[in-house]
Order: sequence, then structure tokens, then C-alpha cells
Amino acid sequence: MSGERNPLLPYRATIREIIPETGDVKTFRITLDNPQAAAGWRHEPGQLAMLSVFGAGEAMFSISSAPTRRDFLEFSIKRMGKLTRALHEMEAGGRIGVRGPYGNHFPYEKFQGKSLLFVGGGIGMAPLRSLIDFVLAAENRPRYGRVEILYGARSYDDLCFKAQLLDGWHHKPDTVVYSTIDRAEARWTGHVGFVPAYLEQVAPRPENKCAVLCGPPVMIRFVLEALKKLGFADGQIYSTLELRMKCGVGKCGRCNIGAKFVCLDGPVFSMAEIGELPPEF
Amino acid sequence: MTAARVLAGGRMVPLLDRIAQKYRLTAPVKEDGVVLYRRVDGGREVCLDFGLPLVPPKAHFFPQTERLFSYNAADGLELKEPPGITASVLFGVRPCDLRGFAALDPVFGGRFADVYYQDKREHTTVVGLGCTAVRPECFCTAYGGSPVDEQGADLMLTRVGESYLAEILTPKGEQLVRRSAEFFPPEGAGEAERAKAALGRELEARFTRRVDLAGVKEKANTLFESSYWGKPAHRCLGCGICTYLCPTCHCFDIVDEDRGDRTGARWRCWDSCMFRDFTLHTSGHNPRGSKMERVRNRFLHKLSYHLDRYGLPGCVGCGRCIAACPVNIDITRVIAEIKEAG
Repeated sequence: MSGERNPLLPYRATIREIIPETGDVKTFRITLDNPQAAAGWRHEPGQLAMLSVFGAGEAMFSISSAPTRRDFLEFSIKRMGKLTRALHEMEAGGRIGVRGPYGNHFPYEKFQGKSLLFVGGGIGMAPLRSLIDFVLAAENRPRYGRVEILYGARSYDDLCFKAQLLDGWHHKPDTVVYSTIDRAEARWTGHVGFVPAYLEQVAPRPENKCAVLCGPPVMIRFVLEALKKLGFADGQIYSTLELRMKCGVGKCGRCNIGAKFVCLDGPVFSMAEIGELPPEF
Repeated sequence: MTAARVLAGGRMVPLLDRIAQKYRLTAPVKEDGVVLYRRVDGGREVCLDFGLPLVPPKAHFFPQTERLFSYNAADGLELKEPPGITASVLFGVRPCDLRGFAALDPVFGGRFADVYYQDKREHTTVVGLGCTAVRPECFCTAYGGSPVDEQGADLMLTRVGESYLAEILTPKGEQLVRRSAEFFPPEGAGEAERAKAALGRELEARFTRRVDLAGVKEKANTLFESSYWGKPAHRCLGCGICTYLCPTCHCFDIVDEDRGDRTGARWRCWDSCMFRDFTLHTSGHNPRGSKMERVRNRFLHKLSYHLDRYGLPGCVGCGRCIAACPVNIDITRVIAEIKEAG
């Protein structure tokens, strides 16, 4: 084969640590085996990577660690199908494949000078966490205004990234964290209720602010309605689209929405951009 | 670069023998009455009298199944890529399929260039073979093609009378001719070129399908939400043959085949947007869960999306999908109906 890097050939990688997040979500902290590949890896918040469990296959995930962490990559993964089950059965020290990073990223350059509102639901926090940690990193924090994080899950057990959510992010300068669960539990003293309703109650102001959303489609739908009521315009709202992917590099054909490929042109779109896509996602 | 030579008709088989000695040769072969591109060892195996091979020659660059690498995850982790191909000749490519390569090149090129496709493309000399007849399904002229168009070939052969006009179009074509120079005298080339032009005019007059694409892309885009797509979708069986035989379709699946001992290989196989599972999410959500959505995607890909993305049509007018469809879904009729749809 030619000397160029084969985009379909994964880098070999090792699972360093597995952090249980919820009953069915684990965060895999991995490092690339080849020191040159590790040194050359550069991703942006919101970008994706293909993970391989050899014999089970390959699937695309958001990179949930911020690019400001150079010593490892993290992927927070919910057990859903064949590949994720195989991943969840692995242990620290296990060998996997990684290729990427793929896709566009959250436009953090455009966000500079603005306040940010993050709205996440369930496993939807995984792609947001990369951007949150990037923005809150000391070297980047002065470039952004106030950071508001609103995150909800079905239950206390279903909240991902509990350490950061409950006792991490809100210690950062000018950062407010709102967390909620769907139904009351004895051990939970925080807010109870669905994300969209809580958002309306918190009522963040839209001026000089961008909202970044990720969560289940039904949550997104109602969050969009709430944001509209609060005065947010489509161009201020960003989200990610997820479609089934095989190659990740714009060739296998299955993640198209009209003429766009989510693997190359996404996964991040503003609501204004999503409005121009054919409704097929 | 264009230089013209002449190949005597009776010298074709010995020429192919010579090519097979110097290159890995793939050419049309008749198997059980069906013409397919196959590896051959000499000219006698090659079928020279054919309309259009059933499966497009894209399979030479983008095989129906292809090993991406083998892995050994049992002890550490080893990944091994397959070797590249040796210098090859792909012989007997019709003008519509030459355009098919042009449509696939930007898909497998660009950023994240596909090394499997590129390697074969780079090491293959494409010998085109002009048409001598027009099939009932042909409509390449709608896309500005012609049954004698040499665009995309390294060396183009066109049957004129008892001999072939040989047009040398690229350095690869020139090298092939240089390696078998005695087959290609320059005498009579001018006359053969005039004969080719006349043959082109004669064949173009024989097309029965007159397809006018003016405004079709723009109109198709306005019909995304139209009920029109229910009409072809109602008939469609979802068999996917239209996509498998299409010279511009490039969808594929990637699967691991494990021997059960954590060693195995990762393969890619042609896949089809006509299949329900193609876009099915693990969650059960499916962006193109209905046949209507899949049929719409295929036609809009051919008529609009590929153009938007690469500036090239996603159809070359070969007519294979028309000939092969078990329920007679006909893209030229769809084009006409799009123009009329309200």
C-alpha cells in the first residue's frame, strides 16, 4: 500500500482506566500505544473518534475529554449494542483500536467573548463535557463569559460525571451548575423535574450568549421550545446530530442528510443550519 | 496528450496475450451467458463482443468484498494491511463506466483519501472500449456522454471497420503502447479517427431514450416532502440491485470476521441505502425507516446530492438499474415525472 496513513486502519490503544458513571455508562480512559501517534493526536471539543474492539467491530463516539488534557483520551459510553457491550466487558489494560479525530467541532472560536449555556440530558453530557472542560480550563477561561450548565437524568444513578457535576464545575469562576432528576429520591436534595421545565424556571437570558444542547431527541425538542420562549435565536443554539456511521470519513454513505455527511460536515450544527437540512435525521 | 494509432482487428487477441504477460489483466469474460470483468491470463478468454458487462468495473477499484486488514488480538495486538496490487490493466471499459470512475474518484479521494482505492487506481491502466451498439436502456447522452467518448481512459480503443482506433490519452496509456509498439502502427490513424467520429454520430442517432435533465436537480430538491416518492416506492421491493450494479454507488459496510480466537480480519462489503438496516440506530431510531424515504434518498443522491457534493452527476446513464430492476422502476421515467410533479 502507499506510504500515506490509511484512514481506515486504527491506531492501537490501551484502556488505562474504566470509570463507572452509571449502571450502564462507563468512561474509558485510553492512551495510544504508539508514542508518535499519541504526540500527534489533536482533537477539538465536539469531535468524534471510531473505537474498535477487534472481532466485535467499530463504532463512532464523541470524545468526552477536553483537548487540554494531552495525556489521555476519554470516551463515556452507554451500553447499547454489540460493540458497546463488548467494550463494557473489557478491563483496564485491554487493547482496542482508535481512529480519528473526525468531524467538525463546537465553534469555540465564535463563542469567545460570549456567555455559554450548556443543556444536557443523560448520556448527552458526553460531547458537552469536552467543551465544558475546554472552556473552564485556566488557559481558556478568560475568553468566555458566564458559564451555566443545566444537566438532567432520569435518576440520581443515571447522572454522569457526578464528581464534576456535584462538586467540580461550580467551583470554577463565574460558573453555575443546575442539575435535576426526573423523579424524587430520598438521597437527592436537588431539583426534581424534566430539563425543559427546569430551563424555563432558571430562565437564562439570551443576550450575548450561545446555548449548546445534547440529549435525547424528545428533550431537545422541548428544550428548543423553551429556548425560543426565552428569546434565543436559531443561530445562537448549537447541537450535535448522531447518525449511524461505518467509515467516519465520508465514503460509506450512511450518515448523509441530503448532500451533507454528518461524519465530515457535522456532528455540530447550529439550529439555523439544521433548519436548512432536509428533515431526515 | 492524444496520439492515435491503429490496431488490426486480428491482432487484438495477441495484444491481450502480450498485456497479460506484462500486467495483471482484468477483462470482460462470458460466464454462463453473462459478461463480467474477470482476471484473465490471455486474450482467448476475453469476450470482445458484448454490450455492457453486468457488474460495473468499479469492482476493480472498489471490490464487492475487500479485506481492510487482518488482526491478531489474542496476544498483544497486531494489525496487518494487505499488500497493494501489481501493475494492472483493466480492459474493455465502456464510456459510461469511464465516467463512473470520474464520479467515484472524488469520493475515495480528497481528505482521508482511501488508500485501497487509490492504490488500485494508481497501479491500473484503463483501456476503454468504445460502444458499437446502443442498448435499449442506454441514456449516457443525457449526461453529455457519448458511446465513443474516450474521457477517463488511459488508452481508448474504438472498433472501426476491421480494425481499432487506438487513442493514447495519458502517460500510462503511452507506456502500455510502448511495451507493445509493434501492435500499434501509426499508419491509417487519421482515417480511423474520421471513422470514429462518424460512428459516434451514427450511434448517437440510434438512442431511443431522450432524457432532458434541464431543471431536474432544482425541481427534485423542491420535492423532498412531495407525495410523489410514494409512487416508485410502492413498487420497489427494496432488493438493492440498482445500487449494486450502479457504477457510481459507493456505500459500504465494515464488518469484523473473527475466527473465534481473537484473530480475524476486518472487511468492507458493498452495502445499499435501499436496505432498512443501513441507517438503523442501535436505539431503534431510523432516519430512513420507510421505503419511501430510501427510494427518495437514492434518486436524490443520483440527481442532486452527488452534484452538490462533488460537482459531478451521480448518474452516468448506463441504464443498468433500468435493465435489472425486477419491478421496472426506471430512472428516466422518474426524471420525467419529477419534471411534471406538482
